[in-house]
Order: sequence, then structure tokens, then C-alpha cells
Amino acid sequence: MEVTTSGPATAEGVEWPSDWLRATLGLLALRALSAGPSYGYAIISELERHGFGTIKGGTLYPLLTRYETAGLVSTEWRAGDGGPGRKYFDLTERGHAELARLSADWFHFSQLSTDYLDPERRPKEPSV
Amino acid sequence: MMQQTSDKKWFDELTLELRLRQVHGSAIGDTLASARELLHDTGQSAKEAFGPARQYAASLELPSTPQFAWVRKSLWPLLLGLLAFLLFSQAVVSLVQAEQLLVSPAQFALLLIPVVLIALLPLYIDAAVRHFWILMVLVMMGSLSGAFSALVAPKTPAEAWLAVDPLPCVIGSALVMIAQSVFNTVRTLRSTSDDDIIDPLAVKQSSATGTKIFVHVTNWLFPIYALAVLGLTLALN
Repeated sequence: MEVTTSGPATAEGVEWPSDWLRATLGLLALRALSAGPSYGYAIISELERHGFGTIKGGTLYPLLTRYETAGLVSTEWRAGDGGPGRKYFDLTERGHAELARLSADWFHFSQLSTDYLDPERRPKEPSV
Repeated sequence: MMQQTSDKKWFDELTLELRLRQVHGSAIGDTLASARELLHDTGQSAKEAFGPARQYAASLELPSTPQFAWVRKSLWPLLLGLLAFLLFSQAVVSLVQAEQLLVSPAQFALLLIPVVLIALLPLYIDAAVRHFWILMVLVMMGSLSGAFSALVAPKTPAEAWLAVDPLPCVIGSALVMIAQSVFNTVRTLRSTSDDDIIDPLAVKQSSATGTKIFVHVTNWLFPIYALAVLGLTLALN
């Protein structure tokens, strides 16, 4: 029985469980913005290029809106060349601090998960 | 062409859903512009990129006015205006015909139907806006109750439950309608409305003149209807 549903397919054809993406997309979006201001499609392309699959606008924008409300990102509209304008998202100081905190937590969590999943690296449990 | 049509429908639905959630006009404008930006970049259809409009509107959790603020701001004044108009339209006929205003229990109950329908609007307004047939049923109920109330109007004072001098009713109800319209007009002129959907890229945007005129006309709807009723009554008399 499968208990997780598949997420968007990556270029390599891997489909990450949607639960994993749901849990990590916030952190990944903050990371995508850490290099400087960016807009919706550029963030989606960045995540796709790094192997996370194609994130839909209906998933990304609500997240960015919540981050804007929480003061983690600021926004600015800039006129587009020949197309509609673009809404740029930029990490605030608070956003940078949140990215650093979440990244540290994620490294710790992923290390724990890797150690637990690998029997060779798992510490021996005391026998009863 | 088909995608343009379905996208237009999706954007209309999204606007409606955000309106129903009492989202500020500037936030609606921002959301629509963001969605258009992404669709332009990806070439996807709106539904493909964002899912159903209703679900997307709910997921955004945008800033909004308290859910029932419009009840105090709009519904109660509307109800007061409607009551005054109903009283005026009944009383003016009696006044023109130089008779007493006669009311029977059945007529009173039928006249109460549109009042109750409007008073209960907060309970079903979402469904009425999303499903046009519900709106039509409500309009039919209001219209039919008005028409039937005329049929069951008492012909003689003996049949009446209530018999009163129509002049104070006409003057009082007319004053209420005018006072309410003046109040609404002043409020409209003074308000810095956050209802207008604002394009975030527009340098400066104000409501179109047509929209402003429409809002002012709606502020005076009951007095306008009352004048029409008065004119019709005089003509028929």
C-alpha cells in the first residue's frame, strides 16, 4: 500500500513524494531568493533546474504570500519589457535569519534521518 | 482562443471568490497581476497553473476586512431603506385616493417576505452569488410577495387589521429615504475606498467616472423608485 502521493516529475523522471515537497518547499523557496530578488517563474525554474520538479504557481504563490505577510520577504512590482510587469520577491533580514535557522535545522534532521535509515551508520541499540 | 475564454472565466471566478472573502481591492489587483505574469511566462492555462479558482483564493489567505463588516455598513441601511420604501409605496396610493392606509395581516406578512430575505442575506449570499438560479428564485420570491400583497389588500376599513392616516407615513418614509441617501452620498464622497481593484503597475488609478456615477445613483435608488411609484399612482388616478 502506498501512503504517499507523487509530486511533480523532475527532468530525470523522478517523482518526489508530494509530502516531501510540501514540507520543504518553504525552505527551498527562501534559498532560491537568497541570491537576490526574483520573481515567480524564475523561482520555479531555479527549483526545477536543481531537480525538484516543476512547482505549480498554485503551490508557490500562496507560500510567498504567507511569507510576505510574515515579513520574511518584501515585494516590488517592476514594469516588464513587452509583457506584463513582474512582481519581485526579496528576502528581508528576518527572511535571511529564518533561512539560516531552517537550514541548520534541516541539516540536523536530514542527518538524523540518514543515520537512522542506513543500518551501517545506525548506533547499536542496547540489548534488553 | 478557447484557452483565453477559459482563462477569462477563471479570472472572473477568482475575482468573485476574493470579493466573497472581503479581500481588499489592492490585494485582488496584485493577485490577478501575479497570476497573469506567471501565465505569460509559462504559457500554461490558469487552471493548470493554479488549480480551481475557489481553491486558489482560499489558499492565499489575503488580508481582508472582517467577514461581516458589510452587514453593519451596507445591509442594515439597505433594510431601513427598503422598509421606508415599502411603507411609502403602500401609503402614497391611499393618500392619492384620499383614503386611510389599510393593512391586513396577510398583506403585512407578504410585505415582510422581502425584508426577511434581505435580513437573512449573510446566511446565503455566497451560494446566491455562485449559483445564479438561487438569486433568480430570491428575486422571484420578493417580486411575487409584492404582487400578492396588492391582491390581498383590504378594500374596506372593516376588513383591515390596521387603519392609519397615510400622510404621516408618506412624509416619514420619504424623509427616512432622503436622509439615508444623503448619508450614503456623503459617506461615498468621503471614503477612501479599498474596494477598487487596483493594478499594481498603474501609477495612479482612480475609479472611472461611470463607476462613480453608478455608485451615486445606487445611493438614491429608493427615492428614485419612490418618485416613480408616486408618478405612476398619480397617472393611474
